[in-house]
Amino acid sequence: MDIVVAMKQVPDLQQLRIRNREPVMADVPLTFGKIDKNALEAAVLLKEEHGGEVVVVAAGSEELEDTIKEAMAAGGDRSIMLADDKAGDLDSAESAEILAQLIKQVDDCGLIIFGEGSGDNYSGQVGSRVAEKLDLPQVGSVTQIIIDGEKLRLTRSLEDSVEIVEVMMPAVVIVTADLNEPRIPSVSQVLKAGRKPKEIISLDELEQPAAEKTLTTLSNLAPEVNRKRITIKSVEELVEILKTEGFVGGN
Amino acid sequence: MEKFDVIIVGGGLAGLSAAYTLAQEGLETLVLERGDYSGAKNVTGGRMYVNPIRDLFPDLWKKAPFERFIAREEVSIMAEERSVTMQYDGNELAQEPYQSFSLLRGKFDKWFAREAERKGAMLVSKARVDDVIMEDGKVVGVRADGDELRADVVIACDGVLSFIAEKAGLRKPLASKNYAVGCKEIIEMDRQLLEDRFNLQGDEGMARLYMGDVTGGSFGGGFLYTNKESLSLGIVVGIDALLENEEAFKAPELLDRFKQRPEIASLIKGGQTAEYSAHVIPEGGVKAMGSLYGSGILVAGDAAGFSMNIGVTVRGMEYAMASGYYAAQAVMAAKARNDFSGASLAEYKKLLDKSFVMEDFNNFKESLDVLDHSRFFTFYPELAGSIMRDLYAVPAGAKDRIFPTIKKHMTVGEIFGIARDMWRLRKI
Amino acid sequence: MSEVMGLKAKLGLNVFKEDKEFHIRIKPGREKDERLKKAVIVCPSGLYSANDAGDVEISVDGCLECGTCLIACGEEVLEWHYPSGGAGVQFRFG
Repeated sequence: MDIVVAMKQVPDLQQLRIRNREPVMADVPLTFGKIDKNALEAAVLLKEEHGGEVVVVAAGSEELEDTIKEAMAAGGDRSIMLADDKAGDLDSAESAEILAQLIKQVDDCGLIIFGEGSGDNYSGQVGSRVAEKLDLPQVGSVTQIIIDGEKLRLTRSLEDSVEIVEVMMPAVVIVTADLNEPRIPSVSQVLKAGRKPKEIISLDELEQPAAEKTLTTLSNLAPEVNRKRITIKSVEELVEILKTEGFVGGN
Repeated sequence: MEKFDVIIVGGGLAGLSAAYTLAQEGLETLVLERGDYSGAKNVTGGRMYVNPIRDLFPDLWKKAPFERFIAREEVSIMAEERSVTMQYDGNELAQEPYQSFSLLRGKFDKWFAREAERKGAMLVSKARVDDVIMEDGKVVGVRADGDELRADVVIACDGVLSFIAEKAGLRKPLASKNYAVGCKEIIEMDRQLLEDRFNLQGDEGMARLYMGDVTGGSFGGGFLYTNKESLSLGIVVGIDALLENEEAFKAPELLDRFKQRPEIASLIKGGQTAEYSAHVIPEGGVKAMGSLYGSGILVAGDAAGFSMNIGVTVRGMEYAMASGYYAAQAVMAAKARNDFSGASLAEYKKLLDKSFVMEDFNNFKESLDVLDHSRFFTFYPELAGSIMRDLYAVPAGAKDRIFPTIKKHMTVGEIFGIARDMWRLRKI
Repeated sequence: MSEVMGLKAKLGLNVFKEDKEFHIRIKPGREKDERLKKAVIVCPSGLYSANDAGDVEISVDGCLECGTCLIACGEEVLEWHYPSGGAGVQFRFG
């Protein structure tokens, strides 16, 4: 049984600069979203226990072919991707349509793991949309995955409670960031990553055309921050200023 | 276990030059870079002189992501309250092939890394090398995050501190007198504003060095290079000089003080600092160099100490690229002999000796001793400034005659002092 | 340019990636060593400071990995290695 992980190529947010309230995208290295890396780690841990292969599916610009090595180094066994410069900016509906088609190519797919939100847009929709398209059960907010025969036992951590649910495989599992700490690949794992099997298709090669774009981003601006630029020299002074600003209780 | 022909520690200019050359000849070459990408850990003043290395990498330059070619050279001599600036324009600077270019290493090295990969080199970034593997006194590989990686030859291109050369027993102890520290800001500026302010057309750029009261009278100087849409502005000061400075300026304060000089403040107005960087620079020359080769290992670039400050030119990147190139040549010769012993790899030193690299270092081996002399950083700048002040002053009364004005600043003692300095300067 | 940008603000412009451990430490028992005082002067990021007891302290956040402190103070008083791969400062311009 194979485990599929869906991952999204995103700009390295730590490298992103804001200039005139807009992100400067030029020269920003690409990587995968943080929670996507948790999803991959969860898959690799399950594989190490139960066998099978970890198949990474992704859709994005042509640089994906390079970025995917990161996932292969961190334990993915093979990849199926749509790498096309026309697919550099997909909305959730498009992504879900493409990923669903890619996942269909995996014959013995036991579970499909998604992170709960991508590293850039964090729409949190694609996992659910794919489950719908593939007509599979889905479980969200998952912090632990246990494979028990044909079933999955999943722990969901909610605000005030911990819920444990059981679901038949195959199923879509949407995980949160705190289920594990992704591994840092070694040099030899990175070197092997480039040699792992990969299947690359372009938009034209999709069986069904991706859905029409339904969402247009009009603007994406950093919030304006009005810093007061007050320099203080002592704690007393700080308390005084906080009082005048109304942050700590006056009388 | 992975075994390579060559493992290169450090994906900066020296390492990538070696990798590019070796991979081109089909050698299995692995570059280990500890940054997120090549260039992520590298700091430069900002200008590369291409002439000495043009022919070593004939196909490289056409697409190189340089910022601007340097069409104008300027030097400012700063006294405490005034400065004198000299400007040199010349057709030879503005004609192809251009002598030098401003550049940003974040862009340049990232690009160069891709070029080396295209030639077939393997590059792994985010990989810190912790140690060399030694067997019977021979370097046979490296340890990186617990992985053991083996190769016929390791090339240490891991920068000025070169822990790899140290672990292989090739580096001399780090003596502070042989090192300077550079602090630099990248100041972003609207392209049009920048070109108008510095009077530049198209891709023309200017370079200006500052001497004198830049570093509080210590051995050092300042630099300003124009990039496409930013300025590289910084100071370089000897570490010992900084420690001995009477006013006890801290390194970052020196840069702020420099930026606040009215001559600088007006040049950077309207710009915005986008990055702050700093690095140690080797300045000890030949005398501070350790061994450049050992059994199974070569040392190149800053790791070998290939950087030089002779006042009006501060150079390092050409030496890094050339030494990487010659290291690659030496490895290929050793491979042909199938002998990677120290004696065989000594060819590297011979190649360097015959090249401009060691010729420059031998010619300028006294430069640090000659220049590390406070008169060059306080007396002369003040003298130049004072003479200019008196020459240009038009007082309320009658103006002094010119000869006595100059003579006033040149007592017999001073003339002897200047003669002594000239005598010292003949060594460089 | 009347306003001087503070050192902290300047360092805030850079990209720093978190490391699992401190890559520079003052060797135990060396906190009062005179040689460490040099680091207070030379460190371009101003990461070293002397406290009231005369001990020199370092906070590695904002380290540019330039090596100046190591060269000024020496290996006898500082335990100095580079941050792990992919950690520490990542220059965008350089």
